[in-house]
This record gives sequence, C-alpha cells and structure tokens, in this order.
Amino acid sequence: MKLAVVDYVILATYFAFVIGIGWMLRKKVSTSGDFLLSGRSVPVWITSLAFIAANLGAQELIGMAASGAKYGIMTAHFYWVGAIPAMLFMGIFMMPFYYGSKARSVPEYLKMRFDEKTRGFNAFTFAVMTVFSSGISMYALGLLLHLVLGWDFNMCVLASAAIVLAYTYLGGLTSAIYNEVLQFFLIVAGFSPLAILACAKAGGWQGIVSRLPANMTHSWHYMGSASENPMGVELFGMVAGLGFVLSFGYWCTNFLVVQRAMAADSMSAARRTPLIGTIPKMFLPFIVILPGIAAVALAQMTGAGGAHLYNLPLKPDGIHTDFDQVLTTLMARFYPAGLLGVGLTGLMASFMSGMAGNVTAFNTVFTYDIYQSYIRKSAPDSHYLMVGRMTTIVGVALSIGAAYVARSYNNIMDLLQFVFGFVNAPLFATFLLGMFWKRTTAHGAFTGLVSGTVAASLTWGLTVAEGKGGVFGTVHTFPSVMAQNFWIAIFAFGTCFLVTVLVSMMSAARPEKELEGLVYGLTKIRHDEGAKWWQRPAPLAIGVSVMVILLNIWFA
Amino acid sequence: MDLRVPSGCFFVILGAILAAMGVLTPGLRAPLTDVNVNLYSGLSMLVFGGFLLLMARRAARK
Repeated sequence: MKLAVVDYVILATYFAFVIGIGWMLRKKVSTSGDFLLSGRSVPVWITSLAFIAANLGAQELIGMAASGAKYGIMTAHFYWVGAIPAMLFMGIFMMPFYYGSKARSVPEYLKMRFDEKTRGFNAFTFAVMTVFSSGISMYALGLLLHLVLGWDFNMCVLASAAIVLAYTYLGGLTSAIYNEVLQFFLIVAGFSPLAILACAKAGGWQGIVSRLPANMTHSWHYMGSASENPMGVELFGMVAGLGFVLSFGYWCTNFLVVQRAMAADSMSAARRTPLIGTIPKMFLPFIVILPGIAAVALAQMTGAGGAHLYNLPLKPDGIHTDFDQVLTTLMARFYPAGLLGVGLTGLMASFMSGMAGNVTAFNTVFTYDIYQSYIRKSAPDSHYLMVGRMTTIVGVALSIGAAYVARSYNNIMDLLQFVFGFVNAPLFATFLLGMFWKRTTAHGAFTGLVSGTVAASLTWGLTVAEGKGGVFGTVHTFPSVMAQNFWIAIFAFGTCFLVTVLVSMMSAARPEKELEGLVYGLTKIRHDEGAKWWQRPAPLAIGVSVMVILLNIWFA
Repeated sequence: MDLRVPSGCFFVILGAILAAMGVLTPGLRAPLTDVNVNLYSGLSMLVFGGFLLLMARRAARK
C-alpha cells in the first residue's frame, strides 16, 4: 500500500489537533486532582464517548475485523452479550458507590470498603497490566504499519508514543478524554465508509448470507454445541464466561473505563456515562466487524477476467490466513488516496485512544494508590501533581519497553493475554459481594481474590485447548482456546465468590456505621427526582435493553 | 473549552480536503470502488463538522 501526499497531510492535521487540544487544556491543570481526575468536571456526552473510545484501541479494531472474517457475526457477542449488560449494570448499580464514596480510583474504593492489602494487590496487578496492554498494542500497531506501509518499526513506536505523551503530559486526564472523543469520531469517519463499500460490493447483507456458511451469519442459531459454530464455544460457556464473568469483570471493575465515568460532573452524569455509551457501542459491530465478514464473501466473488475481487491475506508461510491484516488489505482495495489517509488516521487514532487510556489510568493508580500509600504519605498537593506528571513519562517509557519485550518474545503475548484474563475474572466476585453484601469482610475479600487467581491458573494448567496449556497435566480438553478462557473465568469467579463468603462468615464483620456510602442498603441513592424521565438512568437502561434484544433477534 | 469547536474545525478541514480531492480528481478510484467516495465522504464530514460548530455557537450565545 502506498500513501499519497494528501494522506500525509491528513495524518499531520490530526497530530496537530490532538497536541493542540492538549495545549489548550494545559491551563486547566493546577492540582493533582485536575491532572489525574479531571477535577470531576467533564460534561456527560464527552465522558460517555470517552468511556467506549478508551476501550476501542487499535488491537480491538484489527482484532474485531479479524474475528469477523474468522467467526462471522458471532463476533458481535463481544458487544451485545459481552459489553452492553455489564455497562448497564455498572451505571445503574455500581456507579453510586464509586462516585458517591469519593474514591479517586477503583483500588482506593477497595481500601475504603476492605483494607490496605486488598487495595495493594489490586493496584499492583492493575499497574502491571496497563503497562503491558499499552505495550502490546503499541507493538501490534508498529508491526502492522511496518507490514503494510513499510514504515520503520522503531519510528512508529517512538513517534506515536511521543504524541500520546505530549498531550497527556500537557492536559492530563481531561486532555486524554477530550481527545478520545475526537478519536472516536475519527474512527467512525474512517471505518464506516469501508463497512458500507465492502457490504455493498458483496451484495448487501443478503449477498453475504448467500455466500457464507450459515453458521457465520447467525449469532445464536448454532450455539447449541461447540462443534457446530466457528468459535468452538457452547451456550453456557459463552453466556456465563463472556457475558457474565469476563465482561462484568472488565466493564465494572477496570479502572481504565471506570475512570472516565468518575470524571463526570455529577452523580447523575456519572451514572448515565456507561448507559449513554451503550448506544454507540451496540452499533459498533456494524463498523468494526461487518468489513471482516464482507471480506470473506468478497474473497469468493470474481470480477471481469475471472480474478478474485479480494484475497484473504496470508501469513509469511503462504498457507495460513493472516486475519490481522484483513482490515488494512481491505482498506487498500476500497480506499483511494484521500479517504485512505482518513482510514489510516482512524487506525492511528484508535491506537492513541487506547494507549492514552492506559497511561492515564496507570498514573492515577500509581500516584494515589502506590506512591501516596506506600512511599510518601503526606506531602503538599503540588508534590503529587509533579509525581503524576513524572509517572506519565515513566508509564509511556515502560510501555515502550513492553512493546520491545513483546517483539522479542512472541509467546509472551499469549501468556500475557491469558494473565489479564485471570487477574480480571475473580475481581468481579469481590466487588459484587463487597457492594451488595454488607457482611463481606476484608480478610474474606483478600483470600477470595488470591484463591480465585490460583483457581484460574490451576484451570489453565490442567486443561488443554488447541495444543496449549496443560502444564500440570490434562484433565479436560476444550474445543477452542476461547472456550478455555471462558471456563477459566467461570472457575476463577466461582472460587473467589465461595471463598470470600466462607472466610467472611468466619471473620468479624465491620460495624455498619463504617460502611455507609460503600455498600448497598447502607447508602442513600438519590433517584434524580427533579430530572425528566428520559434523563433518569432506569428508563434509559430499559430502552437500551429493548434495542439490544431486537438486534440479537434480528441476527439470531 | 468547548470540545465541539476544535472537533468541528477538524472535520471541516478534513471534509474540505476530501471534497476538493473529489472535485479535482473525480476519476480517482481504488481497485474495488465504483463511485467518487472522496467527494461523498468529504461532504458528509463537512456537514458533521458544520453541525458541531453550529451547536457550539448556539451554546455560546446562551
């Protein structure tokens, strides 16, 4: 793929704007709270879009188009089952405690509700996780740009990291959030033409359905047994593993997204942030997954002269399909100079929104939950502002390091992706019990969390899928790695839940007075009596649920 | 700062560049496109950018 001058002009304009927004916001930063928490002053439409944009990294875009080509419309489960219900739950039931407790981060809520060791465990694992996930996505972007455009890997990694650093250093979280909204618009502008053009060329949805195997164009119909659908998962594993444990674990407890809602300017806005976010979220599959599905249909069609319209990209071995290149090769087939620049800039924007999300979550957790808690407890606020800024630089530097680690050890990526899975999975049990059962104790939460993590590693070590895992022996073989991941999550959650309950029953309960504002039943939740019905969380959530159910029925 | 102002400006500029491409090189096509996509997407971005700027102006007047 070759770029024209106009494509570079578009890319340069985008860089100028993101840094410019950071520059304009630099005056708003005078305290550590401004820098790390946006001073809780961001309008709700901005936090809502940032909430989903921070999750829409480059790996997500590349990966969703790849999964679309690999699994078909079932990939939409990652949105309709694996995101929307959890986002609704978070807005309706959990946000009152996060926002109302005045905690500055998710680990800090754990400290208020439980104790120091639970916070420390979560803060540390989260910090390591964010550094590695931004490093891995940097690596993925550098690799892709190198493959597709022949750009130098080092240059891609360093230049994109420098730009993210520039605007997050200048304007802190506000700058990251504002840019995430611009980036979200750009992702939609850059990729929706591809979805429309590819779908139209393949003869519309009917044309796609007529060319693809039936199990790629139905999302529910073939879920009965793992062998019938391309993903290799069965109904229970998918709904319980992905739809419940993994998705609630991610959307309800991952500080990266929770931080966006916490930056909202009022409790009502904080609760509506994930709820409003679900509306664009449920339609994203049509932009990010549909091109991948259409690509499979296009690969079966021939044009004048009998040549295939499109060939699925192959790995260097020339035999296996390289699904990760579906998105970019499709862009090369459909986008002329000009629009190609917009598409590429959209890819760049998605990478930056994901990375800035990780960096801003990392610097907050490090500054407040690690530095202020363990290194220097009482210093003037200006000191923590300085530490926050320094941590931003360190976070970016560590991410670059992680990108090179990922580059030199290919297998490490598999391992890490799996580590992320078992750190997140038990956490939701801890929060669920902590927020809704006042009897849960700190010792219960901590032992639950640790044993959930151990249960996850045991499940992984004792089962095999696609030739991987089984380090400690083989008790069970899963039909796919995805099924294995879902079941690891289910065991981690179940163990954490049971152990937390058992240990809590055996240890002394905390006085109820100390739990006010932290636990359901001991907290007054304001129900926005003055607000119009459409501004209240519950009617919004009901409306969204109806829309998602209709989408699922349509593509069942 | 009203975010609608910089985002509006950004999309107006982007839209203008693409629409200009569409007008100046109407025959420019990628292998699989049959229409002048630069022109159409440029015009839609102009409309979107203009809408954001209009909303920002209405909010500033209040």
